[in-house]
Amino acid sequence: MNRAIQRTQILNGHLLSSSPSQSSSLSQKPCLNYNPPELTESYEFDLGEMRKLLDGHNLEDRDWLFGLMLQSRLFNPRERGGKVFVSPDYNQSMEQQREMTMKRIQYLAERGVFTGWLTSRGIESELRMLAFIDVLAIFDHSLSVKIGVQFFLWGGAIEFFGTKSHHDKWLRDTENYVINGCFAMSELGHGSNVRGIETVTTYDTKREEFVISTPCESAQKYWIGGAANHTTHTVVFSQLNINGRNQGVHAFIAQIRDAGNLCPNIRIADCGHKIGLNGVDNGRIWFDNVRIPRENLLNSVADVTPDGKYMSAIKDPDQRFTAFLAPLTSGRVTIASTAVYQSKIGLAIAIRYSLTRRAFSVTPNGPEVLLLDYPSHQRRLLPLLAKTYAMSFAANYLKMIYVKRTPESNKTIHVISSAFKAVLTWHNMRTLQECREACGGQGLKTENRVGHLKAEYDVQSTFEGDNNVLMQQVSKALLAQYIAARKRNKPFQGFGLEHMNRPCPVIPSQLTSSVLRSSQFQTNAFCLRERDLLNRFAAEVSQHQSKGESKENAFLLSYQLADDLGRAFSDRSIFQTFIEAEATVSDFPLKNVLGLLRSMYALICMEEEVAFLRYGYLSTNNAAAVRKEVTKLCSELRPHALGLVSSLGIPDAFLSPIAFNWVDVNSWSSVKN
Amino acid sequence: MGSLSLRLVSSRDQEEQEVVVEEKSSSFVRILTLNRPKQLNALSLQMICRLWDLFLAYEQDPNVKIVILKGKGRAFCAGGDVASVVRDINQGKWRSGAEFFRKEYMLNFVMATYRKPQVSILNGIVMGGGAGASIHGRFRVATENSVFAMPETALGLFPDVGASYYLSRLPGFFGEYVGLTGTRLDGAEMLACGLATHFVPSARLSMLEAALCKVNSTDPAIISAIIDEYSQQPNIKERSAYRRLDVIDRCFSRRTVEDILYSLEREVIDKEDEWISATIESLKKASPTSLKISLRSIREGRLQGVGQCLVREYRMVYHVLQGEVSKDFSEGCRAILIDKDKKPKWEPSNLELISDSMVDMYFSKVNDEEFEDLKLPARSNLPVSAIAKL
Repeated sequence: MNRAIQRTQILNGHLLSSSPSQSSSLSQKPCLNYNPPELTESYEFDLGEMRKLLDGHNLEDRDWLFGLMLQSRLFNPRERGGKVFVSPDYNQSMEQQREMTMKRIQYLAERGVFTGWLTSRGIESELRMLAFIDVLAIFDHSLSVKIGVQFFLWGGAIEFFGTKSHHDKWLRDTENYVINGCFAMSELGHGSNVRGIETVTTYDTKREEFVISTPCESAQKYWIGGAANHTTHTVVFSQLNINGRNQGVHAFIAQIRDAGNLCPNIRIADCGHKIGLNGVDNGRIWFDNVRIPRENLLNSVADVTPDGKYMSAIKDPDQRFTAFLAPLTSGRVTIASTAVYQSKIGLAIAIRYSLTRRAFSVTPNGPEVLLLDYPSHQRRLLPLLAKTYAMSFAANYLKMIYVKRTPESNKTIHVISSAFKAVLTWHNMRTLQECREACGGQGLKTENRVGHLKAEYDVQSTFEGDNNVLMQQVSKALLAQYIAARKRNKPFQGFGLEHMNRPCPVIPSQLTSSVLRSSQFQTNAFCLRERDLLNRFAAEVSQHQSKGESKENAFLLSYQLADDLGRAFSDRSIFQTFIEAEATVSDFPLKNVLGLLRSMYALICMEEEVAFLRYGYLSTNNAAAVRKEVTKLCSELRPHALGLVSSLGIPDAFLSPIAFNWVDVNSWSSVKN
Repeated sequence: MGSLSLRLVSSRDQEEQEVVVEEKSSSFVRILTLNRPKQLNALSLQMICRLWDLFLAYEQDPNVKIVILKGKGRAFCAGGDVASVVRDINQGKWRSGAEFFRKEYMLNFVMATYRKPQVSILNGIVMGGGAGASIHGRFRVATENSVFAMPETALGLFPDVGASYYLSRLPGFFGEYVGLTGTRLDGAEMLACGLATHFVPSARLSMLEAALCKVNSTDPAIISAIIDEYSQQPNIKERSAYRRLDVIDRCFSRRTVEDILYSLEREVIDKEDEWISATIESLKKASPTSLKISLRSIREGRLQGVGQCLVREYRMVYHVLQGEVSKDFSEGCRAILIDKDKKPKWEPSNLELISDSMVDMYFSKVNDEEFEDLKLPARSNLPVSAIAKL
């Protein structure tokens, strides 16, 4: 009956309204007003303090760089609904996007952003550099990747594999963009398996030159960032063949362009349009017996004398090879960290939108309900927010151990960076997808960023090591640790495995709310899972071996446990970084909300990760209790939602129009302007 | 002005005389005149409170559509009356100084989020607090008599009154230049960089006022069109800093104050340039602490809303008044406003002596039980035009 009357009224309105003049009919009551969430939402903690904890370092420098981008037309500022937003114009052609990326780099270089990136080493300057990469990636992935190639891959290769003469010759010019470098490692036929690359280099004793060649099509260098248009030099990874003997993979410097023209015997082709990252000019390179001077061998690991003798301090070719992967570690550190910032962008946008957008009424004629007031919507976004907080602490931890690296810590950094890179980038893709859907149709507009970021960041699960391969390496490293400890009957040390030395934790059969929220219980659950999976994995591998399988094959056959173990290690490590971050805080309101987030992180891992039930770390009753607690935590985090996304360190201009006044942005008057 | 009936709301006590209110018959316009010409209309606490009351009342009053703010004499407003604040500090009553800034910033916030158009007639000096009382409003009318400056770094303070919001939104790094050097801008430059929305020759101001008094609308487009009718496109003088935007962008975009100075000095290594030399000199004369906190303030402000800027600036000014790191504000006021020897002795005396953690102090939470963060009044359902002004 009610509905019938309503419909009649609407029809009446249509028939009787004399003139549909916009001012009267468009601005009247039933229309939705945009209410900034700041007016209705309240939170008790200090946003600045929370941001400090999350960004972790170089806040002032970050703000400076955000400001540099905001103040230049090159970063494509657009006014929408009375606010300025910056974001690349992804509607430009691939060629235009590449040129814009290069122009932006030039602008940043002129203002001293890259000063000291290669010429003044030290913890302080490395941390600033990592902060800048975070900030650049918040604007655009192509921008940060292109800069990453120049400094971390090309510059890093010269730094790590080169010796003083190389440093003196190349680093300053690289920092000043006199030289534009790239990193030719991957080939069409070999990606993650660098050891198998087919490019070959021989030595010509008479002319004291190396000769690089691409012997077959599968040996063409592939995906080389910067190779298609802009770079002048490259580090080439190649097998080194001396007097008919293969010495394994080595790195050489070759010039590929001179004054804009290709160098002799170099062929380059474009990798073409991609699903994202079109501001990076990925190319393919063929070397047709390219001659380079002897000094262009990056000789920190091995050298060739003028008369053609091979010399290396590292006798074992395996160890020699591992040394060559060092620059990829810095890449994984920045990938892990930038992935978390993309999740932050997605969540800030989706949660801000859900605090202003309403849908459906619970009672007839009642007001429509705010999206984030639906428990189901909370369940979609708030656990992802808690995970993103946890991973933010994990990324900060990774950055700290990276900048404080020593020869002894390299192995740990390799394992942690592999695990975090994989888990954080997977989490990012999942988060962006959920945020896209949570924004409904608005999530599909490029200007709203969330949807588009998926395409831009998808590559992160592949480059600098395929995520699945990395996770297998993590499990392999843990197994090696296990075998070493058991064989020598010594306690576990390193990788955070010390908990293996303690008695096996016990999970209570009755889980009350206060137990579920205690960090002791949460730690126990993560440690129990890791411990048991490591035992199982070791047992399964050795069982396969006892049946005559090779060690390698035994490992391959145990891939399911390897996968479970890799995740168990990552989750436990991330959780530990959360506990450590929490311990540095004394302010009560801040500690309180961090406690909620930490519990949410722990419990959502337990709820989502099948291993807890599969191997019985939690009983079905336990799992039900965990699930119930998650919904409680959702409703307790709900009031803090705005505060939590406002502390993420993403300035408004780097979010998107639907995060703010989306009614004005879409109004007819904004179409006319 | 025979047709206009001028009505002083009250002339009994001094506080009301300092802001004269004109209400013209059958008009939807209120004209507020800052009336302390001898002090170049410097804002006293009483004036601030009076403006606060008037602005809030007018916002609710359906018979008011436009608020015009102007100054009597050769100044629009030369700033906050800091001399009295310094007197308080020197008598150990720095908390009442803080109270002055609190009220002033609250007024700035109301102006920045005002629902109705504020038209400020900047026919003379506009400095410091005077800028805060005008730039946040919808329309800023400059004239050939306008002189704008944010001179706080020479006083041991920092550009406050929401300047970290509006300076940071000027083109390129012009805001850093204006805020750090305290340089003076004329009306043409104000218009060019966006501090002013219009330039009207002073001879036409009375006609403009009369025209505005006939308006019965709060629509910014209509009001803008009326001011346009009296506006002119002034020429930017040959030696204007605005013609040096390339140098300003190159140098004032640098990461630190030291880098900015260094890059300016490099510009004049092999060629003489009077303007650059003068710029370097003004930076060297300013309080080093002020320069560092001002630069950071502008840069944080660039990423914050006007409310956040004012809250942060209030924390900063409280730290300045507490004088934990530096007492340059007292010293600056002594040298410039009280003893007038113009030779302040800054302490710390140079940039190298001021560490990042000392700068951090100014931005940190205040450790004082009596301190409370600036509590901005809730301003709901604001139209876009009320929020985005500069």
